Amino acid sequence: MPLKFSPRLISALVVALIVAFVVHSNWGTASVSGQTIATFLVVGIALGGIYAISAAGLVVTYATTGIFNFAQAAIGCFLAFCYWQLTVKWGLPTLLSIAITLLIIAPAIGIALDRVIMRRLRDAALVVQLMVTVGLMLTFMGITLTIWTPKSPRSVPHFFEGTKGVHLGDVVATWHRIITVVIALLVAVALRFLLYRTRLGISMRAVVDSRSLAGLTGAKSSVISGASWSLGCMTAGLAGILIAPETGLVVENLALVIVVAAAAAAIAQLKSLPMVFVGGLIIGLSEAFSSVYLNFGTDWNYAPQAIPCVILFVALLFLPQARLETGKVRLTKRTERLTKPWEAALGGGVMIALVGAWANGWIPWFSGTTFGERSAVWLGRGVGFLIFGLIMLSLVPLIGWAGQVSFANFAIAGIGAVLFSHFGGQNGSPIGILFVMMVCAPLGLLIALPALRLKGLYLALATLAFAEFTDKVIVRHPKMIDPSATGVLFKPLDIFGIHISSDAADRKAFVIFLIVMFAILFFMLELMRRSRWARRWIAMSDSPAASATIGINLTTTKMAVFMLSGAMAGFAGCMLGLSQGALRVDSFPMFLGLPLVLLLAVQGVRYPVAAFMGLVGLASFPALSEVMGNPTWLTQVSLIGPGIAAVAMAYRPEGAVFYTGRDLAGLLPWRADAREEKALLDQRTRDQDIGRDDINDLGIDRPFTSEKVAQLDRVLSIADAVDEHPMVPTTGVTA
Amino acid sequence: MTALLSTNEVVVRFGVLQAVSQASIEVHAGRVTGLIGPNGAGKTTCFNVITGLQEPTSGKVLLEGVDITGKSPSKRARLGIARTFQKLEVFGSLSARENIMVAAEQRRSWDKSGFDPRAVTDEILEKVGIADVSEFMVGTLPTGTARLVELARALATNPRLLLLDEASSGLTEEETEEMAALLRRLVAEDGLGILLVEHDMSFVMGICEYIYVLDFGRVIASGTPAEVQANPTVQAAYLGTDATEDAS
Ligand SMILES: Nc1ncnc2c1ncn2[C@@H]1O[C@H](COP(=O)(O)OP(=O)(O)OP(=O)(O)O)[C@@H](O)[C@H]1O
Ligand SMILES: [Mg+2]
Repeated sequence: MPLKFSPRLISALVVALIVAFVVHSNWGTASVSGQTIATFLVVGIALGGIYAISAAGLVVTYATTGIFNFAQAAIGCFLAFCYWQLTVKWGLPTLLSIAITLLIIAPAIGIALDRVIMRRLRDAALVVQLMVTVGLMLTFMGITLTIWTPKSPRSVPHFFEGTKGVHLGDVVATWHRIITVVIALLVAVALRFLLYRTRLGISMRAVVDSRSLAGLTGAKSSVISGASWSLGCMTAGLAGILIAPETGLVVENLALVIVVAAAAAAIAQLKSLPMVFVGGLIIGLSEAFSSVYLNFGTDWNYAPQAIPCVILFVALLFLPQARLETGKVRLTKRTERLTKPWEAALGGGVMIALVGAWANGWIPWFSGTTFGERSAVWLGRGVGFLIFGLIMLSLVPLIGWAGQVSFANFAIAGIGAVLFSHFGGQNGSPIGILFVMMVCAPLGLLIALPALRLKGLYLALATLAFAEFTDKVIVRHPKMIDPSATGVLFKPLDIFGIHISSDAADRKAFVIFLIVMFAILFFMLELMRRSRWARRWIAMSDSPAASATIGINLTTTKMAVFMLSGAMAGFAGCMLGLSQGALRVDSFPMFLGLPLVLLLAVQGVRYPVAAFMGLVGLASFPALSEVMGNPTWLTQVSLIGPGIAAVAMAYRPEGAVFYTGRDLAGLLPWRADAREEKALLDQRTRDQDIGRDDINDLGIDRPFTSEKVAQLDRVLSIADAVDEHPMVPTTGVTA
Repeated sequence: MTALLSTNEVVVRFGVLQAVSQASIEVHAGRVTGLIGPNGAGKTTCFNVITGLQEPTSGKVLLEGVDITGKSPSKRARLGIARTFQKLEVFGSLSARENIMVAAEQRRSWDKSGFDPRAVTDEILEKVGIADVSEFMVGTLPTGTARLVELARALATNPRLLLLDEASSGLTEEETEEMAALLRRLVAEDGLGILLVEHDMSFVMGICEYIYVLDFGRVIASGTPAEVQANPTVQAAYLGTDATEDAS
């Protein structure tokens, strides 16, 4: 056995050395005294407590419903604003406001989410589960921004603001912090009690692995999932209210807590509540440590904000390898026929014709609007949308085929843009593009590396962390983007004598160049779908266990698709840089990349044509707005709309392209097969839908004995975990 | 003659539960070996150990006398082990043809005989009798047919050892007959060694030359079908489990 531990030991040593190095080289001016240590502990523990509360909610919902709620922090943010409205705006007493927020609004949101959305997701693909909650996240952020427009700054007061607090030596621990810590402890104890000592809680733990098992405990699954979502929302709200005075009542800041909560949840392997609190403390203390003792200097100004991302990455390195599970295959009743090469070519041609005609003004619609007249602004926007389309296209093989949900491609494109500004971009050489693609390919792989051997969800977390890391650390370094640099960083690209640049005069050429490139890549992907590579990726995504047993090496197969996707994102990145001319350090925030993934998923992540539909959808908001004379309601719709669309995926998981294709392919004269198949399929679904088990039928009431609990624990394989935490008695647990 | 496959005192423990206890079985080329036992006896877990999906707590797996215990599932596939799954593990968003093609193409990475994956695919589609549904996405096929797709996919890797977990469940009576005929042919003509987990006793007794009986993870009996049927221990193990057997 000692040999098995050595890779971990080595990683641990390396990580420790790197941390020591970073700490040493960025040591600030503060000396290690009783006072600074006390400050560090007080701040760190309070922060850690808040993080742990949020992460605990995340883990509880994940463990009981199998869904990782990316919207956790955004819901917390919304609730924090509700609290502000009640207490600051309407002047209600603090306690009453908290009670209304956490005991009425939060459970209401939780139950509504469960009823309307989450129950449909139970057997959905990971992509759909993730996208729906990411969509929810953006929806809640959008709603909050719409109701509480960020014109005037708002702040939530600390509890007992203005009072002295408690003196710990020379340091004052404010009442707010003390209350925070006490609440965190109470939450920990309460959750522990709920999950291990109450009938509802034990059923909650049982339900995720086996619904029939949960039936044994005598609880209705609808009650269980409703309870766990309510619990998730309540913890989210509590964390939001506690942290708002520290970060300020700003939507982005509050929603970003999701990265921290995800890191703490990863440390807990998404299941162990005690470890959630350890994780929260590790992160809180690290942040406090860095703010008290370290000074990262101007070059790494934002590095402290990336601490949770780094901790998440490190945690992933130490997670145990995932087993290849069997029996988890979901068979969708989906028919589909491969696109024929000539159809793909035709499709690409239509795309070029449409966009080309618009750019050249051959479409006579909407004349009189700047959209119809294709002002320089609109051509510039067109360039932007096409680049987003390219990024979406790069996600098709990765997410759609190989099932690897990644949020990193926008960040990779950002890094590609920066690289291109250093290599090749300044002399208009297309060779630079190849170079950037060659760097971005392994970069895509590097991000995925820690998560390759883990469950798919961890990859999503890792890529989310990477996107945040890129925004806060990588592109902020002056060597990457020099904030003092002025003027254009890129020379026009010269392709067969045609200039392509951000210059107003070159934009039409840029649009046409991009749509041609887009169509070519689209065509290549459609051909690739018929190749053994795509088959292997899809096989791996459909059943990893079966793929392995026919000889597919999962690791190398995954690596290949990350490289392909990274290279494509790199190309998009070069175009992004070229189109912006100058690069700003804040152009690549994490939240900008998410809607792209969403949009693609809504359109149908398996189909290359979805990327085109996605970019059309993206363009349609500003275009419509212009054509309709800029109504304000449309702006609000565009804030919330993409999120709503993603939530709609709970009902239409395969994406718009699929349903449109299924319903409309029969209209094409040469698709008699589609007409027949549709008739057949309709018949079959009618037959099969009869007699599906109704989840509400599970409420069989049976005696709830300690024996049953032990059986549950064994099947859920938490028996070991219980042994490790002797504070929980294993006997005598009865309802 | 060394056995094609032998497991050597394999133990698998899940927490406190001993799913497989010192199971030693042998599979020989050119015949069908049966592995039977009541629900939860550890049959599927044995398959997982043999194919590398489950690491045994202790014990060894030998392929033609060579220890393969530490090898990954994909390496074992290269060495000639293929399987089907009790709960379908088909590639539901690929067509039946593509399901088989993936395996045939994969085989090219170790089998350098220069075969054409397309030809192999067509041949196997015929052999298993699913050529008429080859263009349908497997997710839309009935369970019995999907099971045949899994068998075809396993065959496409050109295995020496084929593990079939509940091969006949979901098949109609007629299809079961065809399946039996196919397995007999595979064994007689291609010299495959087959290890078969099966609940349909008449199917097992009709096709297997040698049978192991597993109960609570232990091999409680082994021998020819006649010997096993006559064994009182086996009868006892099965008598108490009539109800659960029907439920499966
Ligand atoms: N991953 C696992 N974790 C915990 N227990 C497991 C796991 N896999 C199987 N078991 C348990 O091991 C025992 C043997 O299971 P196995 O699936 O091997 O039985 P089987 O003989 O194939 O049964 P069946 O006839 O129902 O298919 C069962 O009690 C099962 O619950
Ligand atoms: Mg089994």
